[in-house]
Amino acid sequence: MKSVNLVTPIAREEVTKLDAGDVVYISGVVYTARDMAHLRLKRLLANKESLPEDFEGGVIFHAGPVVKKDDGSWRIWVIGPTTSARMEPYADMVGKLGVRAIVGKGGMGESTIKSLAEYGGVYLLAAPGCGVIHSRAVKKVLRVHWLEEMGVPEAIWVMEVSNWGPLVVGMDTHGQSIFKDIAQKATALKEEWFPA
Amino acid sequence: MSVSSQDAFSKPLLRERVSSLLRERVATTISPDVMRLMKKARAEETSSSAREMLNTQIENVVMAQEQGKPVCQSPGFPTAYIRYGGCVNISELAEVLREEIVSATKDGFLRPSMVHPLTRKNTGDNSGIGVPNIELEHDASLDFLEVIISFKGCGAELGNAMRIFTPAQIGEDAAGIKEFVIDTVIKAGGKPCPPFAIGIGIGGQMDVAAKLSRRAVSIRKWTDRNPDPGLAAMETELLTMINQLGIGPGGIGGKTTALAVKIGMSHTHTAICPVAVNFYCWVARRAGMRIYPDGRTQYPFDEEASP
Repeated sequence: MKSVNLVTPIAREEVTKLDAGDVVYISGVVYTARDMAHLRLKRLLANKESLPEDFEGGVIFHAGPVVKKDDGSWRIWVIGPTTSARMEPYADMVGKLGVRAIVGKGGMGESTIKSLAEYGGVYLLAAPGCGVIHSRAVKKVLRVHWLEEMGVPEAIWVMEVSNWGPLVVGMDTHGQSIFKDIAQKATALKEEWFPA
Repeated sequence: MSVSSQDAFSKPLLRERVSSLLRERVATTISPDVMRLMKKARAEETSSSAREMLNTQIENVVMAQEQGKPVCQSPGFPTAYIRYGGCVNISELAEVLREEIVSATKDGFLRPSMVHPLTRKNTGDNSGIGVPNIELEHDASLDFLEVIISFKGCGAELGNAMRIFTPAQIGEDAAGIKEFVIDTVIKAGGKPCPPFAIGIGIGGQMDVAAKLSRRAVSIRKWTDRNPDPGLAAMETELLTMINQLGIGPGGIGGKTTALAVKIGMSHTHTAICPVAVNFYCWVARRAGMRIYPDGRTQYPFDEEASP
């Protein structure tokens, strides 16, 4: 297990060095994106329209913050991960966009394992329910997209973060997933307890 | 009705109490019984990464309290469980609850999270049809008004499952039901923010079992013991099994997957056995208060308080 600092934009070679179980700290630009942002990005791509950001080498955070507005500028008050499994249908799109790290909670599934290997990305687990701690790493809000239409949680918040972590590599570029391993072991135990 | 009882349940006083309950005991901390279980789990956890995760989670609660910040960015879905005897204007109380949730949202204690279920349009202030969900229980013998406010996390909600069993499917010693619970926990994995608690509703019809499951895990102290010995044994057995699965805090592995299992039961029809499994994330934002006619207030989830 190693500990690695990543700075955005992140090169593909940097994430291929990571293995499930490693610990990562991120500095640079992070984009929040949940269900509605993913859906809208998908629609824009389908219609060959331009996207609000270039996600190549970027970090997507499955999160919707509590925000405050001080003197006309937004401040992230509290932010933490949401359940990543909801974004599983967009795994291939996110890979194609060149996203190098997805940060969330709960892990993701087979489509993501495939996408991370194919396009070069990792899934990072942020401590769930720890919004006060994660918010310490956020230095400022650079901009926000689609706030009016989608509301605070679903908008894309573009944030500058510094030394954000520890984030645990839950899924790597080599097909490893700690979530899959744990589920397999648990299922074996269940089958032992309740034979068919 | 005495003059003092009118005062204790007057709208301005209810507003003051609901407001401080929401801001100080619900949004910015977790239930004291749950905190005790988190610390116990941290002391007993053998995996170092799991212990570190529990430590971060506990530290986050302490920081939220100190800074008066929401303990988690996602408030979940609010339900108010109200028990009362008499002398309470429930319409006024409901109005106070709706207004104080909006007010706490505007002040940054709750993220605006309520949307139209189909258009997904956010109301912007946590107002909305059926928000909060309010459940009333009238008992003429009560001399107090009890209000429990629970913001139940909705990532946790994604793991929920329900099934209508036939008598044959229940199996020997309810093995069929236990397998369904374990299977539901495995499928949910790290999604419901472990270490979670689960509520299990058994009996009634579909909606009854679902409601029993939510009420069991929302209203009961996670440290209590089921008064029904059979159900108490089943709660203990399931909790032990779940914590052998190795899912761990945050889903990263470890022996702390669940803090509690709470079963709610009602009789059912001879043809069926509805079972609902309902997750409540570790960030247990729920608090209650009992207001007496003389103005005394008790907090039922406080560690020193009974029951």
